Amino acid sequence: MRRALGLLALAWAGFAQAQTPPDATTLLRKIYQATEKLSYTGIFVYTQGERSETSRITRAAGEGGGIERVEVLDGPRREIVRTRDSVRCYLPESHTVKVERNDQRAFPALLPERVAELERNYTIARGPHKRIAGFDCESVTLTPKDDLRYGYRLWADVASGMLLKAETFNRKGGTIDQFTFTQLNIGSVPRDRVRTREDARNWKIEDAAVTPANLAQAGWIVSGELPGFRKVTEVRRKLGESRPAGQVVYSDGLAALSVFIEPKAGRAEAVRPGLSTRGAFHIYTREVANHIVTVVGEAPAVSVQRVANTVVFRPPQ
Amino acid sequence: MVGVKEKISGLMDGELERFESAAALKALESGGEARETWRVYHLIGDSMRDTRMLTPGFADRVSAKLRDEPTVLAPAFAASRMLATPGARRWSALAASVAAAAFVGWVAFLPGDEPAPAPEVATVLPAPAAHVQQAADTLVAPPDTADDYLLAHQGYSPRNSLLGVAPYVRVSGDVEARGR
Repeated sequence: MRRALGLLALAWAGFAQAQTPPDATTLLRKIYQATEKLSYTGIFVYTQGERSETSRITRAAGEGGGIERVEVLDGPRREIVRTRDSVRCYLPESHTVKVERNDQRAFPALLPERVAELERNYTIARGPHKRIAGFDCESVTLTPKDDLRYGYRLWADVASGMLLKAETFNRKGGTIDQFTFTQLNIGSVPRDRVRTREDARNWKIEDAAVTPANLAQAGWIVSGELPGFRKVTEVRRKLGESRPAGQVVYSDGLAALSVFIEPKAGRAEAVRPGLSTRGAFHIYTREVANHIVTVVGEAPAVSVQRVANTVVFRPPQ
Repeated sequence: MVGVKEKISGLMDGELERFESAAALKALESGGEARETWRVYHLIGDSMRDTRMLTPGFADRVSAKLRDEPTVLAPAFAASRMLATPGARRWSALAASVAAAAFVGWVAFLPGDEPAPAPEVATVLPAPAAHVQQAADTLVAPPDTADDYLLAHQGYSPRNSLLGVAPYVRVSGDVEARGR
């Protein structure tokens, strides 16, 4: 009898762990699929604190994974074009194109099979319906189970799954930042609408030139992973014009943290060790063995600090 | 909130005008925050003077109290106040500036995230080093090349992938924004 009760308790514990309502995870999958297959054009507003900025976004779905283009409509002109293989950031004021090559091994999509991983770190629940930019939207909330990550609320069009609004919130429920569409047309988009309007032929090109790497071989140990985060990728790359750097990325399936390690020698600009914020990001900088270690993430200060403080250099034998 | 704490601090230092003292004493009589502040400031004072007559559970109570306080963000300021204030007043001047600095720090963190929690350093009163340790939480200006880090990082965030290319608008590209 006692054993039967024990089994029952175990079964109950298992059940209680997996209590995310199936329709909440279904909605997450639906949103993910919509980001892959839809073509659209629309206007969205990004809000962070007192600051807000309007942009036009256009996406043309296609065989090769689709092309997206964003033009920032407020402030300095900027245009970003993303294809399956790269992200190009056009900065007319400095006549610069910054090029990031997508690392296929670490494609960060919120894949359906990762939803189980999310449930370890977040409580996933359906929220109330809401009308946004003329679309009837359903919502899902991911509330963090600890202080090491932020929470997210997502609103998606009931009919198509298109994400109309995304909000990041902290432990106290305060909004960190949000993206909201104010106008959206879903439907086919001609290819020329996703090509840049900038004539960048004579611009300076800053190519990240990302290659896989093993930083431990060079003596760098980034050991103290945060609970719920795992290493996603480890690369060598360039930052800015030509600064060589190592980058290690950790993710909990939704949030991500990057650790950058670069030599201190030859850096023109001042290095300010310590914690800083830039929009919704926390950035923590420290010096280790004549190198600058910088941890960047959309995560609470304590997370970036903890990861930064685990970085150690041991000269290779 | 800061007002009450400053008043109690002033009262203990004998710095209040008579009518202010009366109001502060009245607040003390009514208990609540004023009484709690009085009690905590005396505990801090005792510990700063290295008084040995501590009641059982003293450290726990102080650290519990400190845990409830916002993180201290300007130890340099607190330290200079301490040095500039003669003998007997030092401890309460420190307490008051800690409160003021905590408030400033809280404002500086808006509208983002709460400051990193401080419990692991708050448990070691009366060592002044506890406050110095917290200097790690002081905000500095972001790196001049913050854009480069953000651009390099964005592509790896699964949450961003849901939003497609939209999150890249956070890379400012604005030369003036650098170092801000």
